[in-house]
Amino acid sequence: MGRRKSRNTRTETETATTDTSTSGMGGGGGMMGSACYVYPVRPAEVPALDSPDVVYSRGVDMSIPMTMDDGRVVNMWGFSDTAGGGGMGGGGMGSATFPSAAMRVTQGQVVHTQLNVGMMMYHTIHHHGIEPEYRSDGVGHLSWDVQGNYTYQWRPMHAGTYFYHCHTNTVLHAEMGMYGALIVDPPEGPGTAFEGGPSYDLEAIWAVDEIDSSWHNLDWAAGTCGGDLGLNELNPDYFIITGVDGAQSALTAPGIAVNMNRGDRLLVRYICAGYLPQQIRFGGLNAEIIASDGRPLPNPVNVTEIDAVSAERYDCIIEPSQRGTYTVEIDIKDWITGDVLGTARTRITVN
Amino acid sequence: MKRRDFLKFGSATVATTALGSAGLISWSPRSHAATINKTFYVTDGLISQGDGVDVYFRGFSSNQGSLSVPGEHMIVQEGDTVNITIINTLNSSHSFVIDGISNNTVNSGRIRGGNSTTISFTADNTGTYLYYDARNAPYNRLLGLHGGIAVMPRGSNNELYPGSPTFSNPLGQYFWVFNDIDPVWHNALQNGQTPSTRYVPRYFTLNGLSGRPPGAPGAMDETVDSMADPRSKIDGHIGDRTLIRCLNAGKAQHAVHTHGNHMEWLSKNGQNRVDVWEKDIVPLDANGGSVDIIFPFDPPPDAWPPVTNNTLAQAESEGRHFAFPMHLHDEMTQTAGGGLYMFGALTDIYYHAD
Repeated sequence: MGRRKSRNTRTETETATTDTSTSGMGGGGGMMGSACYVYPVRPAEVPALDSPDVVYSRGVDMSIPMTMDDGRVVNMWGFSDTAGGGGMGGGGMGSATFPSAAMRVTQGQVVHTQLNVGMMMYHTIHHHGIEPEYRSDGVGHLSWDVQGNYTYQWRPMHAGTYFYHCHTNTVLHAEMGMYGALIVDPPEGPGTAFEGGPSYDLEAIWAVDEIDSSWHNLDWAAGTCGGDLGLNELNPDYFIITGVDGAQSALTAPGIAVNMNRGDRLLVRYICAGYLPQQIRFGGLNAEIIASDGRPLPNPVNVTEIDAVSAERYDCIIEPSQRGTYTVEIDIKDWITGDVLGTARTRITVN
Repeated sequence: MKRRDFLKFGSATVATTALGSAGLISWSPRSHAATINKTFYVTDGLISQGDGVDVYFRGFSSNQGSLSVPGEHMIVQEGDTVNITIINTLNSSHSFVIDGISNNTVNSGRIRGGNSTTISFTADNTGTYLYYDARNAPYNRLLGLHGGIAVMPRGSNNELYPGSPTFSNPLGQYFWVFNDIDPVWHNALQNGQTPSTRYVPRYFTLNGLSGRPPGAPGAMDETVDSMADPRSKIDGHIGDRTLIRCLNAGKAQHAVHTHGNHMEWLSKNGQNRVDVWEKDIVPLDANGGSVDIIFPFDPPPDAWPPVTNNTLAQAESEGRHFAFPMHLHDEMTQTAGGGLYMFGALTDIYYHAD
């Protein structure tokens, strides 16, 4: 294009360069080891912060035991809600759940996400699908990785389903569970999917993920300085729905399994939270896709199943006409062969 | 296959392949059809990956002494006569195929080692296509014998297909050709063997290159760093709209993700979508899959305070760059050799002030 400039870009972040200050400091809980290609320097002041309508405070918890249906315990990482009683540890620590506590805001609100990261490690928060100023986007090499405190500022302008996750050494940190749901309600509030959009009586948030437990003993900076840690290959052995093992527990887990009455309108907020392709089937129920990735579809689409890839979201209205119990199945597939590696299940019971 | 001292390339030969560079590939909006001639040389060599490991590749190269992976992107116009000469400098047999671009089959058939052939076809159908070597499938394609070719609507300079959403001009279109690489397979093929191991990709490329984050050797070298490669990184001003033709030569399915704005999703696998969806993730199928998207350089919608041209001008005056990444969200693709996050298939999107 005529106005296009050919530029040598990123000069200021080059000065941030490699940080190895954590080398050898140790400490356990995922804080050991050295890091390369993290960007602690903030070459520009943070954007001017306005008075927020909503504030979220998040710390980091690198020790979240998750007991699987087979009895095995897998360690997860997550963001603690330090404003909601989870911040007792101080220093950015505190206990968290997996997945991390959801954020729920109303379209048009100015939101602050305060991140507090303890010493000897770096993290960020990227609000996936939310598109803020670059310094609030949480991408280290284009802004900075966070050690200590940083506040992201954003104002969501499109109602819908999103999620937030760490964007430092993302391949590992998101797999370790550093994510949570992010729901933007329209001005009408919960009960309406988007401004002027369809209503719903109840909702379910299904963040479907696969876990390769062999990755779950790695350090937060694993692989950043090189070495073959197998991060090119995910071989999942657990398949979960919103933090609950999809082998059995998710079939009946409160908040995941749905109990509804005939005539009710259920909004399913389906998040493909893993890395591998998925197919969700609604147990024979018809679903109407009304939005995807936080945007209404020009025309809703009626389906009984959806194929999705990593980080896609689909908002679906289900309005069953028949009583019954419907088993929802989500296949997680090999990204090369398409073979089904595992299936997570939950249930919709229609009274 | 002949044995020789392989010419080692530090990267794909990007210097000659910038879209819109002089001479190639002669597209500008015309009211009349033209005859387009292009010669590709089948060559081979070694290309250093993000972790410093040299991997064997073959490519449809623009001259005999180079190795282009992918081959040079081509843009022609609907109705053009396209003559493509393939000179096979290797001892192995190869072919040149494009599916769907013409109402007639476009397939060179076998080109034996040391031989050459010319194929001619009419570019009947608008859209985005992968040209590739279909012999010994999928190996030759994975080895690097592939590239992108686009057919513009007749007389149009800003549409994917007649009546499509429009993009900015004259150079507001890009190819993002992805590949995934299992060096064990490449090594076997270099030695004339058929791979016998499970396919495990260890490198992931965008237009033949991969990321080098700030501070890494090769960072900002446009012949090495996919975040600096002018074929891959995109630059725009508020109001610009960039068409990106995504092709996947590899075997892994991907999730194309942009920050900064949602994409307008126009087509999948050559089929124009009935409805254009706004997506921050677009699925890209394996083995020749394609999607066409427009990235609108609108102000990031959720920024507070709102982003204006003044915001961008202030950033530039302070030496800051207002940029967002594009990366695949199947995050294994962001690695090289089993680690090295950000040494994979990604690039950056730069907003500039007017």
